[in-house]
Amino acid sequence: MGRAGTVMDDLLNDFLAETAEILAEAGGALVAWEADPADRAQLDAIFRLVHTIKGSSGFLSLPRVTALSHGAEDALDQVRRGNRTADGALVTGVLGIIDRLSQLCDTLGQKGVEPAGDDSDVITALATRDEAADAPAEASDIQLRREDDLTTELQGWRSIRVPLPLLDSVMTGVTDIVLARNEFARMLRESGANPSLIASFDRLSDSIAGMRQSVSQMRMQRIDKLFAPLPRVVRDLARDLGKKVRFATSGGEVELDREMMENIRDPLIHIVRNAIDHGIETLDERVLAGKDITATIQVSARQSGNQIEIEVRDDGRGLSPDALVAKAMASRILGAADARALTPREKLELIFRPGFSTAAKITSISGRGVGMDIVKANVEKIGGIVELRNEEGRGLSILLRVPMTLTIISGLMVRAAGQYFAIPRGAVREILLETSDSVRIERLGGGEIATVRGEQFPLLRLETILGRARDHRDDVEDRALVLVRPGQGQSYALSVAAIHDHEELVIKPAAPMIMATGLYAGTTLPDNGRPVLLLDVQGILAAAAIDASEAGRQMDQAVEAEAAAAAERNAAQLLLFRDINGRTRGVRLSVIERVEEVPALALFESAGQVQVQIGDDIFPVHAAKLPENHGTLKLLRLHDGQSVLCYPIDAVIDIVRLPDLVQPAAAPGLIAGVLLVNGEPVELIDPFWLMEQYAGGAVVSAQHQPICRIADDHDGWGDNFLAPILRNAGYRVVAESSDEAPDVLLCLTDEGGACAHLGGDVPVIRLRASVAAASPDDDTVYRYDRGALLEALRRRVGGARA
Amino acid sequence: MMDKLYLVARIADTRVALRSRSINSVVTVGTPIEVPAAPPHVAGLFALRSRVFTLIDPHVVVGLSSVPVAPGQRVVVVDVAEHGYALLADEIEDVCFIDAPETRVTGKLLPGWARVAEAMIEHEGHSLLVVDPSHFITLPAARAA
Repeated sequence: MGRAGTVMDDLLNDFLAETAEILAEAGGALVAWEADPADRAQLDAIFRLVHTIKGSSGFLSLPRVTALSHGAEDALDQVRRGNRTADGALVTGVLGIIDRLSQLCDTLGQKGVEPAGDDSDVITALATRDEAADAPAEASDIQLRREDDLTTELQGWRSIRVPLPLLDSVMTGVTDIVLARNEFARMLRESGANPSLIASFDRLSDSIAGMRQSVSQMRMQRIDKLFAPLPRVVRDLARDLGKKVRFATSGGEVELDREMMENIRDPLIHIVRNAIDHGIETLDERVLAGKDITATIQVSARQSGNQIEIEVRDDGRGLSPDALVAKAMASRILGAADARALTPREKLELIFRPGFSTAAKITSISGRGVGMDIVKANVEKIGGIVELRNEEGRGLSILLRVPMTLTIISGLMVRAAGQYFAIPRGAVREILLETSDSVRIERLGGGEIATVRGEQFPLLRLETILGRARDHRDDVEDRALVLVRPGQGQSYALSVAAIHDHEELVIKPAAPMIMATGLYAGTTLPDNGRPVLLLDVQGILAAAAIDASEAGRQMDQAVEAEAAAAAERNAAQLLLFRDINGRTRGVRLSVIERVEEVPALALFESAGQVQVQIGDDIFPVHAAKLPENHGTLKLLRLHDGQSVLCYPIDAVIDIVRLPDLVQPAAAPGLIAGVLLVNGEPVELIDPFWLMEQYAGGAVVSAQHQPICRIADDHDGWGDNFLAPILRNAGYRVVAESSDEAPDVLLCLTDEGGACAHLGGDVPVIRLRASVAAASPDDDTVYRYDRGALLEALRRRVGGARA
Repeated sequence: MMDKLYLVARIADTRVALRSRSINSVVTVGTPIEVPAAPPHVAGLFALRSRVFTLIDPHVVVGLSSVPVAPGQRVVVVDVAEHGYALLADEIEDVCFIDAPETRVTGKLLPGWARVAEAMIEHEGHSLLVVDPSHFITLPAARAA
C-alpha cells in the first residue's frame, strides 16, 4: 500500500468511528421521536444524522452505505415535507436501515472494503408508501448535497478525532507534572527560597493548573452518549417480550471520563435488559398486582462528590431473597448450611455469584451465561461498586457508583486516628472547629447531633466509622467538623481530629477489596509521597446507616409527588383488552375488580345462564355458551359495588387514559360507543347495560343482603312461597324467632293494621290475600303481585345496605 | 527459557517458588499506611514511583496470624486485574533457572496452602511449592473463622 492507501485508511477509520456514534445516537433519537411524532426538532436531528452518513459515504464511494442512507433520508424528508405521516412502520423501517448500516460498517472495519450485497429489501420496505408520491431515486443518481447542507453540521468540521492512547499519554504526562510540581513546592517551602523564585514558580504552577483542567475536560463526555443506545434496546426487547415499558433518563448532562464510560457501557445495557426480561412482570401479572400496566425503567445519573452514580430503577417484581437462595441451591453454588447463615443482604448478593442466573429458565434475551458477576467485575475494575436496593414486589434499583475520572481533584486533607485522609473538596460545604461558638454538639439517644447556626446535622465521628480509637496525641482543641454534602438534598457533619490543608490530588482507584469496604473512593499520592485514602462521603453515610436528607425540602417534594400521583389516579383510565371474538374493546378500569384466570372447567351452564365457580362463589358470566377449549380462561371481574359479573376476554392489552371523545352507540347495548386510542377504534363496553342484564341473577354477598323477617306466617305460606322469591331477589330471610334485627318486616295478616310485630323503626310491609285493595288508602300489597312486592321492598330498604 | 525462571522466596514461613512471568518486580517497602476497615490480609498501602500498591500479608491468607511490616522489608510486586499488589515476603532468596519439571502436589496441604499452591518443584535437593501470587489477593470465599 502506498501513501494514498494510508490516507484512505485514515479517512475510512474516521468515517467508521463517526458513523458508529451517529448510528447509536440516531437509534435513540428515533425511538424518542416515535413516542412523540410531533417533535419536529427530533425529526430534523435524525434527518441531519442520516444525511451526514450519506455525505461522508459518497466521498469514500461506498455505494451500499450511500443507497441505504439515501433511502432513510428520503423517507424522513417525505415526513418533513408533510407528504407522509410518521408511524410505527416508518420507524421500524428506518431502524432496519440503521441495523443494516451497522452490519455493513462492522464488515467494513474488518475487511476494509464494502462487501457486495443487496439492500433492496430494507430500502423497499421503507419506500413502499411513497412510491406514488415520489419516484424512487436510482442508486447511481443520488444527490450527495442538498440545498440546506451548508447550514447543517458546520460545527462537525471544527472538531478532530484523537486516538484514545494519545489522550492517555497526555494525561499521564500531566499527572506526573502535577506530582513533580507538588514535590518541588514542598522543597521550595522547606528551603526558604527567595520571593522572586517563589513568584516565578507560582506562575508555572498556575499554568500547570490550567493545563490539567483542559486535559481533564478533553477526556470528559456527557453521559448522554452512554444512554443513547438504551431507548432502542428497551423498545426492541419490550416488543419481543410483549411488555409495555416507559423508559426515561435523567442527568444526561453529567460528565464522565471517556474511559470510564467505555467500561460501564456493557454493564449498563446488561442491567437494563435484565430489568425488562426478569424484573418487569407480564401485562397480566401487573394488572393482578394492581400496578400500572406500563412499567417504568428510569436510568438516572448524578454527580456526588467525585463519583458518578448511575441508577437503573424498575418498578417490576424486585428480587425475592428466598427464591434467590432456592435458585442458588438448585444450581449447586450454595450449600444448605451456608444458605441458613446468610443475611438478607447476602441473599440478594447471590445474584453476583458466578454461574447464577435469576431467570427460572434461560431465555434467549439475558440468560447467555454473561451474568451479574461480569457486571460487578467490570465496574470494580475501574474502582466502582454495585449496590442493590430491593423492594420485593415493587421494584429493584441497581446503583453503579464509579469514580468520575482518574484525573485530579481538589481535596481537603483531614486527620483521624493518627492518619491522613482526603475528602473531595466539592462535597465540603463548610469547615468549623468543634469549639466554635456557632456549633452545639449534643448526645441524643446514643447518637450525636451538631447544631450549626440553628441548622441540625447528624454527627459522625470519623474514628468510629473507621473502627479505630482516637489517637492520644490529638489535641481536642483541633477537632473540627466538616459539613459534608454528599449528594443533592443530603448533608451531615463529619467530626475529624484535625484539618490539614487543601491539595490537588491525583486520584486512582483502590484495589477492589478496599473499595468493597464502601468507605473509600480511591487512593491518592500527595506531595509527601505517602499514599492517602480518599473518603467516600456517600459510602460513609451508607455505612453509618443514618438518614441525612435535608428534611424540609424533601418533605415538599414528597407532597408534590403524592399530589401528582393522586391526580394520575383520579384521571379515568381505560383497560384495553382483546375480546374472545378478536376485537379490541375497552372498559373503565374502575369497574374492574380484578382479572381472574380460571380453568375452562370452572364454567358451567345453569338455567340458560353460563356461570363460573371461583373459590366458594358462583358468578354469572357474560357468554352465550360454554367455551369449547379446555385450557384456561381469562375473566374480567366487573364489580358495581354490589354484584359481580365475569366477562371472558382473550388478553389484556394496555391501560390508557380514557379519551374525552366517545362516539356514542345508536341504541343501548353492550357497546356504549366507539373511541380512538392511538389512532385505532376501540369499542367501549357499557358496564351499566351489562350489569342490568345480569342484575337479577347476581349473587349478592351475604353482608350486603337486607334481612327480611316474615311475621304471622301461620300456614307456612311465607316460608314455602314467599321466602324463595325474596332470596332470589337478594334478600336474606330469617325465621320469626330469630334475634337478628331485620331491615324489613313482612306481615302476612289480613287484620288491617293489627300487625302484632310493629316495633321500633323497622319498616313493615303487610300482604293481603285478596286481589282487590280494601280501600283507596290501603297500603297493603297483594301477596301474589311479585312486582309490587319487590317494589315495596326496594322502597323500604333501598335494595341493599350501604 | 523464561518459563524456567523462578523466584525463590520465603512467604508465610514457607519456602516457595514463584514463576517469574507472574511477577512484576521485587522492591523494598517503606512504612505503609493502614487501611481501616479493610479485610485482614490487607496490610496497608505504599507508594512506588507515583503508583499506589496494596500490601498483602500472605500469613493471613494461608490462615496464620498477621505479622507486622518491618521497615525495609522486601515485597513481591504483582499486577492482578490492572491493580498493583505487593506480597510481603519473609525473605527473598534468589532468582534462578530451575530445570526440573513442575510436578503435581503430593501429600495433604493445609487448606490455606492448598488453595494457592499449583505444583511442586525440586530445587537444590529441596521440594518447593510453586504458588501463583494472584491467589493471595483474595481471601477464601468461605470464611473459616
